[in-house]
Amino acid sequence: MNASASSAQGPRRYVIIGNGVAGNQAAELLRERDPDSRITILTNSRLLFYNRYLLPQLFKGHQSWHAFLANPPEYYVQRRIEVRRDCRVVSVDTRNKQVKLAHNEPIGYDALLVATGGRSHLPEDLADCRSLFHHFGTYEAAVTTRKALPDNGTVVMLGGDMIGLDLARTLLAVSCRVILVTHETTFWPHKLTAEERADALAALEKMGIELIDGDARGGVTSVEAGAPGLPARRVVFRQGGDLYGDVVMPFYGLTPLVEFMVGTGTDIERGLLVNTTLRTSDPSIYAAGDVCQIWSEQDHAYRFYYGYKNVRAMGAVAAINMTGGHEHFATTQEETLGRDGQGHIDSPFWACE
Amino acid sequence: MNATDIQIAICGSAGDGTIAAGDILRNAVAAAGYRVICFDVYPPEIRGFGKCISRLRITTEQSYSLKRQSDVLVSLDDSHTIPHAGEVRDNGAVIFESQPISPCAEGEHMSGHVLPGQIPYGFPIRELAQKATGGARSRNLVVLGFIAGLLGLAPASFQKIIEKKFAKQGPKVVARNQAGFQAGFDAGKGSFKLDDAAFGPFEKPASAGKVIMLSGNAAVVQGCIDAELATFFGYPITPATTIMERLATELPKRGHRLLQTEDEISAMAATVGAGFAGARAATATSGPGLALMAEMLGLATITETPCVIFVSQRGGPSTGMPTKTEQSDLNAALYGSPGDAQRIVIAPTNVEGCYRCAGKAFEMAERYQTPVIVLLDLYLSNRYETVTLAASGPPFVLDANKPLRRLEPGEVYKRYALTADGVSPRAVPGDAGCMHVITGLEHNELGRPNDSAEMHTAMSRKRHDKLQAALEHPDFAVTKRFGNTGRVKVGILAWGSTFGECLEAMFMAQAEGIVCSAMKVVMLSPFPTKAISAFMDDCDAVLVPEVNYEGQFAQLVQGVLARPVVRLSRVPSSPMPVELILGEIRRLSGVTASAIAS
Repeated sequence: MNASASSAQGPRRYVIIGNGVAGNQAAELLRERDPDSRITILTNSRLLFYNRYLLPQLFKGHQSWHAFLANPPEYYVQRRIEVRRDCRVVSVDTRNKQVKLAHNEPIGYDALLVATGGRSHLPEDLADCRSLFHHFGTYEAAVTTRKALPDNGTVVMLGGDMIGLDLARTLLAVSCRVILVTHETTFWPHKLTAEERADALAALEKMGIELIDGDARGGVTSVEAGAPGLPARRVVFRQGGDLYGDVVMPFYGLTPLVEFMVGTGTDIERGLLVNTTLRTSDPSIYAAGDVCQIWSEQDHAYRFYYGYKNVRAMGAVAAINMTGGHEHFATTQEETLGRDGQGHIDSPFWACE
Repeated sequence: MNATDIQIAICGSAGDGTIAAGDILRNAVAAAGYRVICFDVYPPEIRGFGKCISRLRITTEQSYSLKRQSDVLVSLDDSHTIPHAGEVRDNGAVIFESQPISPCAEGEHMSGHVLPGQIPYGFPIRELAQKATGGARSRNLVVLGFIAGLLGLAPASFQKIIEKKFAKQGPKVVARNQAGFQAGFDAGKGSFKLDDAAFGPFEKPASAGKVIMLSGNAAVVQGCIDAELATFFGYPITPATTIMERLATELPKRGHRLLQTEDEISAMAATVGAGFAGARAATATSGPGLALMAEMLGLATITETPCVIFVSQRGGPSTGMPTKTEQSDLNAALYGSPGDAQRIVIAPTNVEGCYRCAGKAFEMAERYQTPVIVLLDLYLSNRYETVTLAASGPPFVLDANKPLRRLEPGEVYKRYALTADGVSPRAVPGDAGCMHVITGLEHNELGRPNDSAEMHTAMSRKRHDKLQAALEHPDFAVTKRFGNTGRVKVGILAWGSTFGECLEAMFMAQAEGIVCSAMKVVMLSPFPTKAISAFMDDCDAVLVPEVNYEGQFAQLVQGVLARPVVRLSRVPSSPMPVELILGEIRRLSGVTASAIAS
């Protein structure tokens, strides 16, 4: 199927902001559906698209980033998909249809897909401690954290969303001590009843994770560097008491990365608001992945859809609709927190192809 | 130990400090004990707009040429660097400004040209320079620091070189540049390293001699000084100018003389005159200057006056391409004078060779009483290498002038006496009893004009035959064979700076299992017929790579030996690519691409 004609002279120009599952799935389909077009992926990462779901494996032994690449470099050359790495998008000029990069370069588009995903959420109270946290959202962050963690070391997880709990499984397997300070975001993005939550917490203990009820201690008020002779980090609770760990990692869910879209006139709640065709309120701009909230007729609200299957499907739907199609997104992702044969928690959000 | 082999290219506009950055980098790593080959490319304009590139290959073992692909590319000016993005190998690093001062049009930022296999490192070069130094002029030092930090090089040797380089400008300038370097170093060290360019563990090797970093022209100057050059006459011309510039500083320190003449004709005439007067004399020029010197070169030949002419070739003909390398003045060097103007022509193949050839040229000029041309090229003149100078002192024999025996009363001095080896007793004006008559006319043994057929034949033979001894000149390899001995599939015959690329290609071919050899030909006139013929006897095919269009050396070989050679004559405005030579070796040896892949 051919794409609609370009608004400018020359081939139609598709720009994708974001280098994750949704963006790359969209790029692949865009190339299939519009062979003559220009496709540009913009990302602040220095690496090509890699599989973040595999990052916990770093803790099982050193692996080069090459092992995580979803596609070899030749893939992009062969498909004529330009990947602009180490570029930060600062704004979008919807009137002139240009993405503005931090280094003062405009990138023109006929159709724009925002697929920036989200960054690890950090409660406002802890923002000042940002530099003392160990992170996990990127390959570079994960390797840095791995290097900071001694053999059989102690990891303190704050919050404990499903990204963190996935890592916790690996950490336990390599004989690390995992202490989880629970929070309302524990098990995010699963939505659990009180009963289900209690059951799931018990399962975590059975797995070997040490639980500390964060709410009972008034929450974490700060993270500090550990004193000499003690582990590298100290976590301080609002109602007194502390605990130590070699690394402290925040897992409070994700915040959609939409700052650069503020002021564009595109509707934003927490994420970019899109209809089921994934089109935003600007007809030239689409959104896919963890960055967007999709209108749900069932819920009569915009809601996020997480998980590899959802995100990948969103990338495909966006690409189809950007090239003149009329597809609607419908989730196929199982969202129930389950148990495996050993009674350990098992989340469908951990699965990827 | 993992051998280090990293090539770094720094690209910017004239005035960005690109070449200065390369200079500091090569000196810093050389001080740490690494071997370095560096070649700077710069524009013909003195300042502004033109492209400058400094490429450095840093190794633990001796290397012989630059690599086709760099491991790290630094952009100080994206408009100049973008065309070179493809020179960086997969998993190599591309370093660029992440916050340019002015808006750039779409597609004009370096980040848009980093290939999928390469690793981009954008960082705020200008901002760091301004924060650290109060201005943006130290951007080149900031990127140097970034490279050092990223690659894990110790900053101390850099800071020391920076201090030395800027000492004359005062402590504030030194401190500012060191601060710029440190800011970049911290940024580089703090960057997550994703590329795989790395310096392996390395201990500075013990050396039997003095290890110094020299350009080809600087090595020529060092050779001149160690050979006790007494007088130099010259007129500036790229790429030979720095020979004169350096000698202008060095010769007066030693009580010797340098004169910048009004043109190359005067320079050559003065050089011949100084030689006639008994002074060790030299000049330096490039192709266009050599053309002007042709008449006086003939005078030196017929008067049998020792003198040395350093000729650094550039793209020609005429003004040609002053800042691009070429090997197209071979014919002019060999034949560029009227008549049978015999002379010695030698061509070093690397920087150390520049030093040796410079010193040996004076030995030969005086021993054989003849002009000697040392044929360099821009690539060799401007290329920097680490050179080991012998601890035992200069390897030059400086007593080549034959001492005159005391004349008997009434004996007549024959300046051009026909002797067994063709070399006549040499006197200089003022030697008691040796009335010294010279002329550009053909002459008899006394130096008096004589145009008889017999005398012209005898003198032509004398001037020709005496040079043949140069083929056996002591402690001087006129040719040298490398690689496999005995019968080989492919023999590479090369001269001048291209030999380094040939040697690299030969090693690569051997690694692929191809039996091959390479012979460097240092002496081009007189022609080493015997050695080259013997080499060709061993080769199924002989490949002659050279950076000129006509295949001048190939023609020389074929003309003398009447044997076929395979020409690889290219004028790429740059050194001959190693891969091009390797491709020809493969082709000639019958190796197919699929065989290499398997």
